This record gives sequence, C-alpha cells and structure tokens, in this order.
Amino acid sequence: MKYFAQRVIHATALLLAISFFSFALVELAPGDYFDSMRLNPEISQQAVAGMRSQYGLDQPLLIRYERWLAALLHGQLGVSLASRGPVGPVLRLRARNTLLLSGTATLFAWLLALPIGIWSATKRNGWADRFWGLATSALLTVPDLVVFLGLLLVAVRTGWFPTGGMRTEATGGLGYWSDAKDFARHLILPALAVALVSVPILIRHIRAAMIEALESPFLRAARGHGIANSRLLFRYALPAASNPLISLLGFSVATMLSASALAEIVLGWPGLGPLLVESILSKDVYLVVAIVMLSSVFLVAGNLLADLLLFASDPRIRME
Amino acid sequence: MQRVPFWNCCVLVAAATLLIGSAGAQSHPAEERMVAEVSSGRTGGRLVIAMRSEPKTLNPVLAQDAPSRDVIRCLTADLIHINRGSQKTEPALAKSWTASRDGRQYTLRLRRGLRFSDGQPLDADDVVFSFQVYLDEKIDSPERDLLVVGGKPISVEKVDQYTVRFDMAQPDAAAERLFDGIAILPRHLLEGVYRRGDFANAWSVSMAPAEFAGLGPFRLKEYVPGQRIVLERNPYYWKQDGSGHRLPYLDQLVFLFVPSEDAQVIRFQAGDADILTRFSAENFAVLEKQQSARHYHLDDLGAGLEYNFLFFNLNSVDPKTLPEIARKQEWFEDKRFRQAVSGAIDRDSIVRLVYNGRATPLWTQVTPGNRLWIDPGIPHPALSVAHSRELLRSAGFSWKSDGSLVDSHGRPVEFSILTSSSNAQRVKIATLIQDDLGKLGMSVQIDSLEFHTMVDRLLKSHDYEAAVMGLVSGDADPTSEMNVWMSSGDTHLWHPNQTQPATSWEAEMDRLMQQQLVELDHSKRKRLYDRVQEIVADELPVICLVSPNILVGASDRVGNFHAAILDPYTLWNIDQLYVQ
Amino acid sequence: MTHRHKLWAAFVLLACLHALVFFAGFFAPYDFATQNRDLTFAPPTRIHFVDAQGRFHARPFVYGLRNDPASAGYSVDQTRVYPIRFFSRGSTYRFGRVFPSGLHPFGVDDPGRLFLMGSDAFGRDQFSRFLYGGRISLMAGWIAAALSLLIGMIVGTLAGFYGGWIDHILMRGGELFLALPWLYLLFAVRAALPLHIAEWQVFLLLVAVMGLVGWARPARLIRGVVLSAKERNFVLAARGFGASDMHVICRHVLPQTWGVVLTQMTLLIPQYVLAEVTLSFLGLGASEPIPSWGTLLAALQQYYVLSSFWWMFLPAILLLPVFLLYYAAADALQERLASVPL
Repeated sequence: MKYFAQRVIHATALLLAISFFSFALVELAPGDYFDSMRLNPEISQQAVAGMRSQYGLDQPLLIRYERWLAALLHGQLGVSLASRGPVGPVLRLRARNTLLLSGTATLFAWLLALPIGIWSATKRNGWADRFWGLATSALLTVPDLVVFLGLLLVAVRTGWFPTGGMRTEATGGLGYWSDAKDFARHLILPALAVALVSVPILIRHIRAAMIEALESPFLRAARGHGIANSRLLFRYALPAASNPLISLLGFSVATMLSASALAEIVLGWPGLGPLLVESILSKDVYLVVAIVMLSSVFLVAGNLLADLLLFASDPRIRME
Repeated sequence: MQRVPFWNCCVLVAAATLLIGSAGAQSHPAEERMVAEVSSGRTGGRLVIAMRSEPKTLNPVLAQDAPSRDVIRCLTADLIHINRGSQKTEPALAKSWTASRDGRQYTLRLRRGLRFSDGQPLDADDVVFSFQVYLDEKIDSPERDLLVVGGKPISVEKVDQYTVRFDMAQPDAAAERLFDGIAILPRHLLEGVYRRGDFANAWSVSMAPAEFAGLGPFRLKEYVPGQRIVLERNPYYWKQDGSGHRLPYLDQLVFLFVPSEDAQVIRFQAGDADILTRFSAENFAVLEKQQSARHYHLDDLGAGLEYNFLFFNLNSVDPKTLPEIARKQEWFEDKRFRQAVSGAIDRDSIVRLVYNGRATPLWTQVTPGNRLWIDPGIPHPALSVAHSRELLRSAGFSWKSDGSLVDSHGRPVEFSILTSSSNAQRVKIATLIQDDLGKLGMSVQIDSLEFHTMVDRLLKSHDYEAAVMGLVSGDADPTSEMNVWMSSGDTHLWHPNQTQPATSWEAEMDRLMQQQLVELDHSKRKRLYDRVQEIVADELPVICLVSPNILVGASDRVGNFHAAILDPYTLWNIDQLYVQ
Repeated sequence: MTHRHKLWAAFVLLACLHALVFFAGFFAPYDFATQNRDLTFAPPTRIHFVDAQGRFHARPFVYGLRNDPASAGYSVDQTRVYPIRFFSRGSTYRFGRVFPSGLHPFGVDDPGRLFLMGSDAFGRDQFSRFLYGGRISLMAGWIAAALSLLIGMIVGTLAGFYGGWIDHILMRGGELFLALPWLYLLFAVRAALPLHIAEWQVFLLLVAVMGLVGWARPARLIRGVVLSAKERNFVLAARGFGASDMHVICRHVLPQTWGVVLTQMTLLIPQYVLAEVTLSFLGLGASEPIPSWGTLLAALQQYYVLSSFWWMFLPAILLLPVFLLYYAAADALQERLASVPL
C-alpha cells in the first residue's frame, strides 16, 4: 500500500513537471495563435493586441502558468484560443474516439500476435517460425506512413472501405442497428492499420518470452515428467512468460492515446491525433498543454498499471 | 423567474401573427419577403460538405477563420449584401436605402415582418444592438476596423421601428459594401450576455441549438466535435423563389470536418460529400479523370482574387543588428535590381508546373477575376534574361568567370527567400524562382519556415531578405486593400507601419489610396486605382507572379450550382441550392 | 557460424550501400537540382535493345519523350535513339568532395534523358535525388542515433549502477522527456537560426536536437543491462577488491552493454531516417532543393502523387532493403552476442 501511495505521489510530481515544461516549450517557439490575423489586411494590430491581452498571452510565462494551475484546481483545463471555449468537452470526445480506435486495434493486435508468437516459439527454427520471422521483419521495415497510405489507396480504389470519418453522412441516423454496422465499417480500416504496425513487435516479444520460458529448467523437468504438450504450454509456459507480456500490455495502455495519431491523420479518424497537429501548428497553447497532459496521464497510468499487475501476478516482486 | 414573461410574450406574438395575416395591423406588418431570381428547385433533402478544418466559433462578431465564417454565413444575414455572382451590392434585410448628397449619411429601411429563426421579430433595435456590439472596443471584433471610417466609428441611430440611419465621419466610396457580412444579431438573446460582459463566450460551437437565432437560411441543429455540424432549414427565412415558394430548398446542411484538402478530395471522390471548394490543380487533374463515372462535375472559374508575389525587405533595418541585410538592401532598393528579378522569373513555368496550367500570370495586384478594377493597360513584359542582364549591368553589377553575379563592390549576389512550409505551392514557386535567378548568376537559398516563425520574421524582427507570399482580398473593391498599399498599413509587407512614406512613389500611392476612398464617382476612382496598379507594376515593391484559378466541384445531384470567384465561392447561394 | 556469416554479409552490404551514397555525385547521372521543366513527372525511362524498325542494338538505348496534350501525359518519340554511354561525361561534381569531375558510370547524350526512377514535379531525376538524399539522411540518422545512445548510455549506466534516488530521478526524468511536446523546441531552434546557414546544416542540426532529446528509451534498456551486470560475480569481486566506481563502470560494466548499444544503433538509424518524414510534414525537413529520403517519402503524402504516379513509390520500395539490412545486422548482432558466452 505504501508502495502504491509513493508511486501516486511521484506520478503527480511528474505530471506537474510535464505541465510546466510544456508551457515553457510552447513559449520558446516564436509567435502565437493570433499570428494568422496579423497577415490579414482587414484586421488591425490593435484588435490583435486586444485579443492577445484578453487571453493573457501578453502576461509572463509564470503568471500564466499560475493561473492555469489555479483553474486546474477548479477542474478547468483552460480555454482553446481557436474555439474560445473550454478545452474539456472537445478533448473528451476526441479522446473517446481515439480510445475506441486504439482499443480495438490493441485487441486485434493481441489476438493476432499471441497465437502467432506462441506458434513460432514452439516450432522454433521450423518453417513457420522462419516465415513469421521474415514477415515481421518485412512489416517492421515498411515505414508506418507507407502502410497507411497503401491502405488508403486501397480504400479509395476499391470502395470496399469508407475513406474517413466515423459514419456515412448521407444515410446516418437510420436506426440503432444499421448505425452500429456503419460505424464498424468505418472503424475497421484504421483499426487494422494501427494493429498492423504494432503486431510485428508484439509477435517478436511474445516469441522471445515464450522461448525463454520453454527453455527454463523447470519446464524441461516438466517435459521430462511426460506432461502433455498443450498442458505444458498453457499451464506452465504461458504463466512463466507472462511478466514481460504484462509490461508490454502496460506499454500498450501507456501509448494508447499517441500510438494511433499518424493513422488517424492519414485515414481521417476524428481522434486526438489530427487535433494535436492542428493545435501545435496554430499554437493553441492551452489545447496543446491539455492534450500533452492527457497523454502523459495515460503514460503514467499505463506504467502504474503494469507495475500493479506484476505486483499481483508475481510473488517475487511483492517481496521487494 | 424570467421564463414566464418570456413565454407569455411568445404566445402573444404568435397569436398576433395569426390575427394580422389578413388584417395588416400597424404593429405587426405582413412579411415583406425578398424574391430571389430562381424559379426551379426541389424542396427537401440534405447536402453534405467536407470542410478542411472545424469551425472554431459560431459567433459572427468574433469569427475570423474561414470554416467558421462559412458556417456562420448560412446562419445569419446582413443588411446590404454583395452578390457574389455579379460582384455588386443588392438589398438584403434592408429593402432599400438612400445616401445623403455628401455621401456621409445612409438611411436604411428594413423589411417588415421578418423573424429570427426562433420566431422572434426583427426591428431596428436589433440592428442598433448589432452595430453596438461590432463596434465595442472591448469585444475586439476583427470586423471592427471596417466600420471605422475616417478614424471614427460609424454612428448608428434608430429613426423608427424599421428605419436606421448611419453617419460617417467622411464619405466612403464603398460604404454600401461595408454592410456585407455584418450579421444582424437577436437582441432578445444576446443583450443580457453582452451587458454581463460575457459576449466573448457567447455562441461557441458547442452551444445548445436553442441558444441560437439568426436570419440566415438555416439554423443550428447539432454539433459533434471533430466530426460534423448539422444545420436545418430556417422556417422563417425571408426569401422566396419566383413561384412564391419560401427558400431554402434544402432541409439539412451537413458540414463534415476532415483533416486536410486531400481528405476533402477523397471524400468528394467517394461521393461522401456533394460540394468541393477551392482545391489544388493537381487534385483537379486527379478528379477530372473520373468525372462522369463518379457522377460529379468540376468547374474552373478562372482567376480569383488571390495574388502571389515575391518581395524584398525594404524596411529601414538597423545596420548594427542586421548588418548583412542592411548591406544587401543597397541592391533591393535599386528599382533596376527588382525589375531584373521580375524580368527573369518565368511566370508561365509557375503556371504550368505549380498549377498545372490552372492559374494566370500577373504583373500587378489586381487579377483578371476582378472585372471591375483590372487595368488592361498594364504592360506584360516578356520573359527576357538578356534584358534583365542589361538592367543589372546598368545598375553596376557584373559577372565573374564562373557566371556568378557580383555587385559594384565585388560582393557575390546571394540572398534567401522565405516561404511558409505549410503552403506547398509557394515553396514550389520559390524553387522555380531559385532556378530562374540562377540564370542571372544570383545564388538564392530557400528558407521554408514554420508559419509562426515566418510571420515573426516578416512583421517583427524584419530578419529576412526576400519572401514569397500571397494575399486574398476579402472583396473586389480596393478599400479592402487599404492596409496593404498605405505606407502606414500593418500589411504593407515590404515596409509596414511607416510614419512618413519612405519613397516618393509610396507617398504617391498613399495619396491615391486616400483619394479613391472618398471619391464617389466610380470612373474617377477607377483612374486613381489604375495609377496605383501602374506604380506597383513599375516600382515592383511586390513582384506579382501568379493568381491561381478558383476550382470547384459539385455532385451531379446538386441543382442551381453557380460558383463565384468571391468567397464563399460555392456556398454563396446556399439558399437556392437543391438536391435531386 | 552462420551468425557470423550473416553478420559479415550484412556489414559488407551496408558498407557498399554507404559507398554508393557517399559517392552519389559519381553514381548519379544528374545533379539533384537540375530541373527539366518540360519533363515533369516523367515515368521511368524504358531501356531498349530493339528499335522501332526491329533492329537489334548491342548498346542499350532510350527514346526521348514528347508532351502529349491529348492525354496530358507523354508519348514516346521514336525518331531519335539515345544510346546509353558508359563512363560518360555529365554534370560536374566534386569527387571525394575535392576534385571536380564530370565522370559518371552511365548516361545519355543531351537532349535525351535517362530517368531510371522517373522524374518529380520539377522534372528532376528521382534516381539521382535518391542517391544524393541518402547522403544527408544517413548522416542525420547516424548523428541522431549516436547522440541518443551516448546520453542514453551515460544516464542508463548511472541510474543502473547507483540505483536508489539517482535511479529514481533519472528514470522519472526520462518519463518527463518522453511526454513533452518537443516539436516546439525544434520550432524554436529553427527560428533562432540565422538566415545564412546552408540548408543541409540546418537540417542536421534539427535532427541532432531530435537525437539529443531521444535518449530516454535507450537509457531504460541500458539501465536494465547494467542492473543485471552489476550483480555478476566478477563485478562484485572487483568491487570487493576496492576498485573505484569509475574503474568498475568502465572496465566491467560498460563492456557488458555494447551488445545492446550496437543493436540499438542499428535499430535507431532507420528510425531517425523515418522521423524525418514527420519533420518535413511539419515543415522542418530538408528544404528545397536538397533531397533527403524523408522528403522523397513525404511527397507521397500528397494525394495526387499517391494516386497518379506509381514511380514515386520507388524510393519507399528501395528503402525497404536498406532498412532490412540494418535490421538484419541488428538481428545478427543480437544472436551472435547471445551465443557468445560472457
């Protein structure tokens, strides 16, 4: 319990540090959100200056940070300069979309990687292992961007998949069942894309962990005792290999908000990825900081989750 | 507490409306609808439009980004409107107006019996309130500057329930055009917020539809962040078609948010969106191939109002902080140098390589799309490296044996061109210029910077040598360009915010721009602005290069589709569009 | 033994690749900036042995292209034959960066053009740009990877070796580094640079900054290795004999990490080469006309390029074997280290 409390305190301190440095970094780069107005011949510099001061952009960094912290204590994440409205609601919806996508993708990836990884490990150096080894290295080498663009091109050319968004506008709202089907159709391509780029690494890790477990002395002993292969695999080897896999799962959770960003941008999924790029490029300060904070929370929580799971599953760690 | 009287009021008004239909009582006049010049259209259906980014606000007073304005235009209406098709003004909420002889006073008469989209009536108080908000210094509306004429804000006065008088400190030749885009706000909904000083937060995109009321053809139905905004027909809209049918034809209008132009094009190609506005010539070529197979058609409307140009840093920079640039300004300030550069740039190549031929070469800021203001007398000198070399030679430049250009002090002519990396076309233009000027022996480097960094250098630190930029006038009239051509202007890019015009030709431009502003006779104004164009073409403070054509597309099922070269290009007659 | 062969094969091939890229000026038939404004987006040039009259030529040749307004594309102009000349004279470059030379392994006479991988939006030879692009991309990859690893090694070793609060602070710092929006640092660095730095220097500098802030992941891995290394008997023994920390780290602990470091190096280089795609997406990539593999890939992001000109995919496809080589080297290294008893 004490261990847990300590971790939470550390995490909070870390998040505070992240928020401050995020502010500082945004400050470091020249210009602010209202720059695009400066080049508009129909808007005067006084108007721009007025807007800057209205949002406190003319204040020094420390004062703005202090105000932001004070607002945070009241549960407010600040305002988006672009929409001039609170950041919270926008963020919630986008984060939900991203979680839907990366959750599905993570599920896909694990469902695919577990059997393949175990299969490769049991048939070590056999043809299946070699085939999957080659396939995973090939997939690893293809840049993510090229994978996504390829999928997009397939969708455009064949018309099998929708080319972005979460539902078909012309037919939306026809009823619960058809809407759900429509949504699934939109989800499948981006989810596949995200899964495809994370699967090779998963397979490799699972294979390595399984091989280590299968070659450990206790399993050799078990095999020597004539325990059936399938029982050996699932009853003994898999639990033994679970530690690195749990860490890996924690990592999946930790990067849940950021891993799918590129896919979202290329394949037009309305998640956090496109929002982050847009806000970064337009220097929408509070929105940027809010998104960074949100993904940091996931990062920290994911690591914490992995530790807790390890804590629960492995008595040796509990000893420390 | 407050709700009860409010509802009572509504019921009263509704009852009164029913009564007056035939009676025509003084206080509740019959609706004076405007008749639009369309006769055919099918009622119903929904139109889907993909937008490049999400609208940021639905507050017409504060909106400044294009997507917000596009949506707001469908929700609100103005007193006098610029017809995008004819580029001329036409009555809107004001059915007629008169100007005083000195051009400083305008009296507008409103249509009677109009209602906001929530059913509340419109009268002069709403108009006075709207202008009060737009002119409020604390609100910082981006439109405010346009309503400040001769240094003083326009004064607005209610004459009677349906008449409003506007007074200006000096005559304004384009006064009628000022009213375009100034949305008339519902006083009954917004006055409370305004008095509380909370107007800046009113009408955000995430407001409840009941909080909104406007005079546009549509009203708000639903907003889903990151995905779409849905508008529905305004049952009280004040226009009808030739056969007496109340507009708009469409039941619903859906704006989809997509992350990029390419996504827009893909959605249009797949048939998920019905209208495509302003896209690149390359994408035009891609879409063109499937025009009939996929049931859409594309239009090339010719040059719009955007002009792209190259300019040199002519600011008075401090030789101590920026010695390198101060030294090079010796070249930049020489007219012959600028002329040599202009003469060596192959504009046709830019048209062909950057815009696939869908652009028009330019030698001045007014594009062929601006039919009322273009000066056909501006010379279009042919591309000539030899002539440019002659000009450079006469200005004291010479060439070394390896072909590189040096100035009279023997220093090599090298400079860099700034562009914004987010604009692929301008980076391409700069790349072509780099190659062209190489033929004169100039060594040009391209610095494509992130947008904010570029603005910082252009307007604040003045730490740049040359830049490629583009401007789009908001309107065809030269008054929208005052800030660009006045030497004191903020967007007088090559040397902004001068207290005294630095050169004699800038002084002349100042004088001409001031004169055309107050000159009420169009042909005299035209002559004044022609002279400005001549100065730009001769002195080359900005070397105008090219104006991209306005490219649009629409699904074959959209009727009454007549795109224009003025913003909002395709949606300006949204109340008349219909789907088959 | 096979590991060894694999390793050698990978290293030899990598060396060849680097030589090809280093001497791009020689191998590339054209300069990377030469524009052919009448031949934009020309498809790869077909190499023929038999001409239109059915005659066989011992020396391969190419035909010229003509603009075909009807199809908005090109048609082959069979009236003139341009034989391919080996060891021909072409655009000037500096051999080994010192001696000017115009010698190229192959080329065709003007006005013929030999575009092995087609041409881009300015009619520039994609093949030449690919070779030249490797120069800056590989250099950037090496620099960034080396910087990441150097800092990662220092931090990881300190954290792993000393443990306790040092470990704690360093690792939390690592998490901090993983979370921050570094793009703004890149924007800031780019903005602070004066105008007259050569484009490629700007680019290398930005990639170096990326490398500097990318130490957190390698640091974790190295820390893991150090943690187990410091429990090894000979390390414990050395400490027992009173060796100084510095001595133990340098003599006994660091050598244990080489495997991880080398493997990481081969993995990180391709990663940083690809990271450049993101950079150019955000406008921080190598600026025109300098080619880099990242900008060649970034061109594919434009829908019209993606959907109209298949040969623009060639750089992406050619990069696969390059990266595959790096990964193969990483694999072979890993297996070899696993099989060598420590």
